[in-house]
Amino acid sequence: MRHSFIKSRPKKLISSELRLVLSFFSVTLFMLLSTYGFLAYKTYAFGSSVKRYQMQTETLKVALDEMDVKISFIEKEASTSEKVFTANTVLKESIKNLFDLVPERITLSQAQLEKNALVLYGVTPNKEIYEFMLQAPLRSIFHRTYSSFYPLENGWYRFVSTNYLDDEDL
Amino acid sequence: MKFHISRQSLYLLILSLVLLLFVLLFAFIFLIPKGKEYRIERLEMKKYRVEKMQYQQYHDETFEKLKRLQSDHKRVITAYDAMFNAKRFVKLNKDYFVSLLLKPLERIADEDDFIVYEVNTTSRIDSPQSFYNFLDGINKSEWIVEVNFPIHFERDDKYIRSSFTMHVYNKKQ
Repeated sequence: MRHSFIKSRPKKLISSELRLVLSFFSVTLFMLLSTYGFLAYKTYAFGSSVKRYQMQTETLKVALDEMDVKISFIEKEASTSEKVFTANTVLKESIKNLFDLVPERITLSQAQLEKNALVLYGVTPNKEIYEFMLQAPLRSIFHRTYSSFYPLENGWYRFVSTNYLDDEDL
Repeated sequence: MKFHISRQSLYLLILSLVLLLFVLLFAFIFLIPKGKEYRIERLEMKKYRVEKMQYQQYHDETFEKLKRLQSDHKRVITAYDAMFNAKRFVKLNKDYFVSLLLKPLERIADEDDFIVYEVNTTSRIDSPQSFYNFLDGINKSEWIVEVNFPIHFERDDKYIRSSFTMHVYNKKQ
């Protein structure tokens, strides 16, 4: 015997409305947690990048220091070699000028070049030629000039000319 | 008036309140501090990246400069590294002299980065021009050589006997 006009339905603990609400809640929780996860991962990744950049910067600094040392050494090598080459060129010009200074009538037998002195040995037809043509230019170059003469059998003179530069001009 | 609330609605209300509480707590305890940390780390990372890029640029420029210097002064660098070889020196310069004799190399000075050797030389030349040519040629030789005082020239029949000192510069190893 029936007591109701409608058909009985089974009672549920979670209704379909509640299930819908729960699924929305689940989506909310998922989004919250995934945002946190994303932030945590990116923070970790940034930290790793910072460490990597720090290491690369340190490596670059070391390489830069090494290259700076090499550069300054090459510059030093270049400047020292330049000084050496200049000294050789100046020496060549000095010797050339010295030999150009000697007139044709005077014959040199020896020349000693020191850092601050020049000693010349040779023969001259007479003292006047020596004094005007060799001693005068030597006097204009050197601070102190001394000459000695030794007469030869043929009337010529053997001479020794010693010339000094004072230290201040070196 | 009687206020009636169903069991389902009560569940819903409690669940919503729990969720709200959870969201608020989670946000304030975890999410917001993590967000701040993320922002700080990102700024830090950008700062270090810019610094690294600046160093990289400076490194590249310095590297270029070094390569250019090495290329420009290749001969000089090689010359400082080369140990003086008397036999080879005589062989390379024999055209300037009638005869050329070198005494053994003697270490005379230790500068900061260089070692200076001295070598005494006796030679015979046929004219002063040969000696000038030698001085020109020595600046292009395989070593860094400085001709030094004392220099002595003496007439010897049709030749000129000469003696001079040379300083050879080597890099300290």
